[in-house]
Formats: sequence, C-alpha cells, structure tokens
Amino acid sequence: MPSVSLPTAMESLDPAVLFYKLEHIMNNIDSDQDRAERPASANPSAVASATAAKPSVLRARLAKILATSGVSTAEDDGQPSHFTLGVDRIDTGLRGNAGADGLPRAALHELHAVEKADWTSAAAMALLWAQRCRNLGREERPILWISESGEARRLGRLYPPGLAELGIDPSGLIHVDAPDSIAVLRAAADGVRSSAIGAVIIELSGKRPKGLDLTATRRLSLSSQKSGVLSLLLRSGSDADNPLPTAAFSRWQVAAGPSSPLEANAPGHPVFDISLLRHRSGLYGLSARMEWNRDDQIFREPQGTPNIGAVPALSAVRTNHQGTRAA
Amino acid sequence: MALFLPYLPSERIIRAHGPPDHPFALTAKIRGAMVIMAADRQAVALGLGPGMKLADARARVPDLLAFDHDPLADADLLSRLAEACERYTPMVAVDPPHALILDITGAAHLHKNEEKLAQDAEDRLDAAGYSACWALAGTPDAALALARHGLKEGAEAQLPVSALAMDAKVHQALERAGLYKIGDLAERPRANLAARFGMELTVRLDRILGIEDRPIDPLRRIGNVITERRFAEPLTHIDAALACLSDLFAEASERLNERGQGARMIRMMLFRCDGDVARLGLETGAPTRDAALFKRLLRERIEALNDALNPGFGYDLIRLSIVSSEVLAPQQLRLEGGEDRQGDEVALLSQLSTRLGRERVQKFVAADSHIPEQGLLALPALNAPAPVPWERLSCDNPPMRPLHMFDPPQRVQVIAEVPDGPPYRFTWRRKTHQVIRYEGPERIASEWWQRKDGQQPGNGGLTRDYYRVEDARGRRYWLFRHGLYGEEKANPDWYVHGLFA
Repeated sequence: MPSVSLPTAMESLDPAVLFYKLEHIMNNIDSDQDRAERPASANPSAVASATAAKPSVLRARLAKILATSGVSTAEDDGQPSHFTLGVDRIDTGLRGNAGADGLPRAALHELHAVEKADWTSAAAMALLWAQRCRNLGREERPILWISESGEARRLGRLYPPGLAELGIDPSGLIHVDAPDSIAVLRAAADGVRSSAIGAVIIELSGKRPKGLDLTATRRLSLSSQKSGVLSLLLRSGSDADNPLPTAAFSRWQVAAGPSSPLEANAPGHPVFDISLLRHRSGLYGLSARMEWNRDDQIFREPQGTPNIGAVPALSAVRTNHQGTRAA
Repeated sequence: MALFLPYLPSERIIRAHGPPDHPFALTAKIRGAMVIMAADRQAVALGLGPGMKLADARARVPDLLAFDHDPLADADLLSRLAEACERYTPMVAVDPPHALILDITGAAHLHKNEEKLAQDAEDRLDAAGYSACWALAGTPDAALALARHGLKEGAEAQLPVSALAMDAKVHQALERAGLYKIGDLAERPRANLAARFGMELTVRLDRILGIEDRPIDPLRRIGNVITERRFAEPLTHIDAALACLSDLFAEASERLNERGQGARMIRMMLFRCDGDVARLGLETGAPTRDAALFKRLLRERIEALNDALNPGFGYDLIRLSIVSSEVLAPQQLRLEGGEDRQGDEVALLSQLSTRLGRERVQKFVAADSHIPEQGLLALPALNAPAPVPWERLSCDNPPMRPLHMFDPPQRVQVIAEVPDGPPYRFTWRRKTHQVIRYEGPERIASEWWQRKDGQQPGNGGLTRDYYRVEDARGRRYWLFRHGLYGEEKANPDWYVHGLFA
C-alpha cells in the first residue's frame, strides 16, 4: 500500500487485529461508496462533517483511489519526502495537510519570472531548490538542466563558474540543449523517469510554448511521483494574468530583490522575492523575501526587512490570486 | 586489388548532365590559360589529353565542349565509390585522384575467387556508369601500377619506367640509359641504381615488384567485431532491416562477452543493391552489451535522421561493426536490491545524445584561463572526463561571477561621473538603469602572450574593468569597460557581460 500513514499506524498491532481492522475499514469504504452513489450529496457540508468523523475511512479511500489510478509514490529510500527552504515562516506555511514542512520532492513545481529581467533570479531559484533537494540524499545525483537553444543568445547562457559561486558544483550538472520546446519536454520526460537524476529543470520561455499543456505536465508530475525526482518548470515571458493551466503541484513567482549592501555599498548576497500563486492544498498568499546563504546552503530572511507585505510589488501579485485560484 | 577509374571526372559530368553530343573536356585556368585537366573517352580517342591548352584543342576539334574542372567533387565521388566498395572488404583506401585500393586478403572466398570478386566490382561500377580497370597483385603499389597501365597480375616486368611515378627527369634519365621497362631495372644491381637516383627509386621498385609491402590507410577504422548478413533477396522493409540489426548486435555482444568487453561505438552499414550505402552510428556513454538499450538507441537514431532510411530496391547486405569497445566486467547486482544508478545515468545520457546529437548533451569542465568567457569547456557528456571540483573565487562573499553570461557581451551606454570611474547610470535594451550599489573594478587583463608582439606596449589587447552593479529594482549586472581610459583607448566602450541572481 502506498505511503499513506495507515499501515504505519498499525505496525505495532497484532496481525489478527490488523486483519480485523482492515476488514472493518473495507466494509466502511463499500458502505461509504454506496452512500456517495446515492443522490444525497446535495448537502455537501453534511457529507463533509460525516466523513470528517472518520479520518481512517478517508485515508483508506484515498489509498484505494491511489491504488486503482496506478500511481505509486516515490520509493522509500530513507530520504525525507519534503524539502524545506529554510525560512520557517514559508516552510510551516507550506505544511498544508501533508503533515510535513516544505514542498514535496516527488512533484512538479512551476517557477515564473515576474518579468524577463527576473529570469536569472528565477533560474537561480530553481537551481537552489534542486540543490536543497539534493542535499537531502546521501549521494549527490546530477541535476538535469534542459533548455531550448536559441534562447541562450537572448537570455544569456548558464555560466558554470557562477553556479559554483552559488554553491552548486557545476560538474554535477548535465546540460541538454534541445532544439525546440517539444524536444525539451521529451527530454524532460526521459529525465524525470530516470532514477539516476536528482532534479530536472525544464526551461521554457514564451507565452504558450508548443507542447506545454495539461497532458504534458500531468505526465511529468506522475513520472516525478513515481521516481521521486524533483521536477521544476522554469517559465519566463508567461502571461501573469492568464497562466497556462498545468498539473504542477505549486506555482511560484520569482523576482530579484534588492540585496543588503556590504561594506562600501557593494551589492550583497542574492536576494529573491517569491510568492506562491497556486498550491495543490489550496494555500495561497505566501510571499517572502529570501537571501541565499551559500556557506550553510540555506535561505534566510534578510536582516532588517520589517514587513514583507508592505512591498508594493508583492501586493500587486496578491491581487491576481483570485484569478489563479479560480483557474 | 586496385581499381583504376581513368574517366572518373568526365563520367561524373555525364552522370550529372547526361551524355553530351560532342566530345568534351574539363578545364581549369592555369597561369591565365585554360588548360585541359581531364577529357572524356571520345576526346581522348581524338588525341586530346590533360595538359593541353583548350585553345589548341579547339583548333583540332572545333566542337569540343568544355566544363569546369572540380577536383573536390571528384574526390567526393571517389570516396563514395570507396564506401560502396566496402561491401567487399572493410580495408578500402582511396588513392587520389582516380584509384581505389582494396585489401581483399581473406575476403575473396565469398565470391569464389579473387578474379570473380574483381569482375563483380567492375560490373557494378559499369552498371553505375563508371569504367574501371582492375588488377590484382601482392602489394598495393604493384596492383595500382598494373591497373593504371591496363595490365594483369604477373606482368610487372612489362610496366614502363614511368610506373615508378618519380620525377619526369628521372624517367627521362632512365630511358636515356636504355632502361624502358621495370623488368630492365629489376635485373640491375640495386646499389648502382640507388647511387645514381637515390634510395627512393629502389624502394618504389621493390614495392612494384612485390618485394616490399606497404600498409594501406583504410577509409575507416575496422571494427573489433564485425557481424553481417547477406541476403539472396534484398530486404525492402525497414522493420526487417532493424530486426536484422538487433540480431547482429546480439551476435556481436556475445562475442564481446567472451572477451569481457562492451561496445562504446557501433557502426552500421546498410548496402542497397543499387550501390547506395546508408550509414548509422551509435555511441554509448559506457560500454554496453545490453540488447534492449541498443534497440532503444537505434530507434532514437532512426527517428533523429534528417532524411529517413529509404530501402529503395532493398538492402542486400547489412553489416554491424563494433568500432570501439571497452572492458566491461560482468556486474553483480546488489543482494539487497536497489537499482544500478550509474548504469541508469549512462543509459539516459546515451539516449538523449542519440536523439539530440552528442554536442547537445553537455557537462561542464573548468578550463585554464582567467578570461571569463574562456574559463569553461562544455564537453559532450558522453565522454566528459571525471569531474574535478571547481575552484571558488570568493569565500563568505556574495557571488563574484554571474549565473547567466552573454557571449558575445552586449553593448550598453553608460554614464559615469568620471571617465575611469564606476558607472552611474546605464542603458541596456532601451531601458535605463540607475546604479544604486556597485563594487569594482575587478581588472582582468587580456592574454597578451597569446598575441603577436603582445609584449610590446599597445599590442597586448584591451584590459577590462569589471563592475558588479545593482540597479534600483534589485537586479544585479556584471558590466565592464573595455580598455583603460586614456592609456589604451580614448573612449572605452561598456558592455554587459552577465547577470547575477
């Protein structure tokens, strides 16, 4: 049975008791299904309250749905299923109903650059997430970076010494320079399926890249769930008001933030403004300014930032939550 | 065996334009005069030949046509013919301008005997519209000399001395001494010949007489393991051909297994019965004997082909050779289960490289240069060296190198308070950015030792002054001034070279 906490809760029980309990639950499920098939669901709050009384039933139902859909969750290789960013407010805010802080590792996440000029920040954010995720494991698996050729001239190409400066070993990066967006997605599908890869970063720019749709992202996120590979879809030039519908677990917006100056007014450590646009668990409104600390490989809130909500750029972001939630 | 194609250039023209009505010649301009480089069979029969001026030739044959001589096209055609001849033996060498050498040792029994094989080659060339003379001999030079002069095996003594292909002066001197044939030379003591004409003459003489052998330089490396299938009836279906390739690989990998090796580079050749050859190459990231991986890669390769495989009248010979192989010990899976990560990575890299091309799947390696854009190498991931940790420039500092780089750097308009000072405001892509914070300059000199007279002042190239700047919106740029103000350049240009996170 997949990684539902049901079997773990019963590990200490006697097998006979376990069997009895399971049977009991299965019976409940059947009756529950019967109930659901009846047209009595006109009052959703009543159904919700009824099912809330029996969390075990819900879990069993979930397990059954997962089992029939053919989705198995990431293999249990002793790694935590979630990775955190290091900023407590964000990590606990992302807990949702998953029961763990941070973001799930075996999922597809979307990162959007607010403007074209924020592209580098968004790319860095994706790489740093991949790095955070890689640090969870015992062995360092490579990051697969897939980009569309031709974009490099306009947006700049990845510069490995800069990667090293961020604390990511460039020799652990495999760069795939695909001729078009279809090839990008195909390569990504192969990469996500492979257990040898730590994270896949898919770089696509433009409003509607060819081939990027619900089906493609659903395929990616299913493969990601199966293999446990973090997949990040990095987008620039996307339509902020009307983003493409995707099957991603979460969608974030990334912009560059003003750094805290060092001595002699020199630019400081990289600072990012991120905000959550969409989340599977219905979370929204999370936003933060984060500074990357290379030596500890962690994000921190920069010192002397009083209240993030007061930043005008982010309040502008917040207004379009209604639209994205509805989508 | 040597194949000599005397009319190759003119037959190329005939194939391209159809047979012309009049004799024709191929001409090139040499020292201001149009000179005949090659002539067709009719023109040669009329007494025209290479080296004659076109005007003289026209005086003798008024309706002579002239085409441009194109030695590159001829060489290309010759190498294609050589490829087609690989059906007889993998050891095929090109002997420019007009000859092919085939090492048919051990390959002749497939055609009963050597004469039958040679006759088959001549027939096939004839069907394709090329006339050829062939000759068999123990050494390549002997075969070539015989083929050029239209003689057969054993007639070496009949060859004229010009078959030695020495200087015209040497040939003349030999003839003056009354030595017209190779046979005459062979009887002479070598020491005297060497004393008079140099060692080279005796070496060439020995090679023609078959006393000394010369290794030929085949067109392609021969594989370690070669498997092939010949078909009595040509295969006209791609799927059948692919299935055959898979079988051949299974056969080859069995033989590799005996040696404890795995294939790194596989070359496949599909010989069409009309002489066309389709080639496919596969490369893997690590030695392999895995038939499933081979099938997957082959499928990727076929899909990635620009012009799909066209069996036409069918393939009558399919050959698979393992060009490069490496040691691959039998692997033991771990007792406690778990998958083979290394193998998975290699399989993924091979698959992507096969589909997209090996140059498109890269790993980065640090290069030994302080010039920022030359400080890295993007190598194909399939044969990247073992990873070396990267040197980090700064400790407890913010990143000093950008994440994205523009190559070439992009021009910006900069306003600075003083000409050799930091930027105050800059315009890039029609947007103006106010510099709020900056750090610099980091001065990076050019590699003057790479330049001619670089040690002289003024020849060493321009120095760059790099600044890390942040604008009012919190975006960080890497700008540089190209040239020191006043010393190297009166009005140095500014460029943006990269973007920081």
